Amino acid sequence: MLWPLIGIIVGMLLGLIFPFSFPVAYARYIAVAILAALDSVFGGLRSSFENHFDPVIFITGFFSNALFAAVLTYMGDRLGVEIYFAAVFAFGVRIFQNLAAMRRYLVDYVRNRRHKKAQQ
Amino acid sequence: MKRKSQVWITIICIMLGVILTAQLRTQAGMRQEIPTKRIEEMASLLKQAESERDALRAQVHKLQAQVDEAVNQGKGLSSVKKDLEHARAAAGLTELQGPGLVITLNDSTRVAQAGQDPNLFLIHDEDLLKLVNELKAAGAEAITVNEQRVVASTEIRCAGPTISVNNNRISPPYVIQAIGDPAGLESALKMRGGIIETMQFWGIQVQIEKREQIQLSAYVGSHAFQFAQPVDKEGEK
Repeated sequence: MLWPLIGIIVGMLLGLIFPFSFPVAYARYIAVAILAALDSVFGGLRSSFENHFDPVIFITGFFSNALFAAVLTYMGDRLGVEIYFAAVFAFGVRIFQNLAAMRRYLVDYVRNRRHKKAQQ
Repeated sequence: MKRKSQVWITIICIMLGVILTAQLRTQAGMRQEIPTKRIEEMASLLKQAESERDALRAQVHKLQAQVDEAVNQGKGLSSVKKDLEHARAAAGLTELQGPGLVITLNDSTRVAQAGQDPNLFLIHDEDLLKLVNELKAAGAEAITVNEQRVVASTEIRCAGPTISVNNNRISPPYVIQAIGDPAGLESALKMRGGIIETMQFWGIQVQIEKREQIQLSAYVGSHAFQFAQPVDKEGEK
């Protein structure tokens, strides 16, 4: 649980050191892509808690989700439909579901340990 | 948690962090850079336009002085001179005096209640336009708004918190002077359901003064035509 957090911090520091930014026109697409990426990370964390983590699924999910979310937003802009709400909604719901699943797992884990200690 | 999954998630998190900072920077840039850049741009444009205006105004004065000189020197030009003076008075290029009205307008002192539009208690370009229009209809011969002479090309237009007249920004209190029959002008304005009554309904302060003698300043801009040209009539050639 600690390493991913350190990873994000290291990444942000790297981002601060290398001063690159996206063209303003793409800001909206990148924002949706970041949401998709966050969803993938939380999904990956959950599956690693539940011991069925698969690196191939995780990596492909990360890139394809981000890419499709951005493309979907772009298409919505072209068509005049605020279709990116769908992406925001779907990823938002999934992030919360994953968080809830991890919380449950952690609570169970701590309870089990206490129980075992009590038995001993 | 397994080692393998931790490694992968950490790598991806590093990437996510980099993208996140870049995006935050882009968003911060969107909020800050564009407006300040624009303000600076606008300020330099304004300065440039103002210096151009001053130069042109000086040129207008010089040319007018030349015209005056030429007319004064020439002999047998007295009828032309008279015509010219008349035309210049009609065009608002000379100061005029005579009896008339002085109308002073100021924003309402009333405070807008919750749910009421505060805009209703302010004087807008439309109010001034209607007032000037009413004065013209009542036979006013010359009108100034805050010392700005109303001529054929005069605009009265909203310019943010101020009103633009002859491309000059004016702000309350608005003083409108009109030369004409004082009684006639006053009764036109004070007509029941007329412009003054409407403005007073919103608490806008209106003072009307009849005066025997008022002096109106001249129009200081130019009347140069850039696109329009007189049509030559056949036969007159």
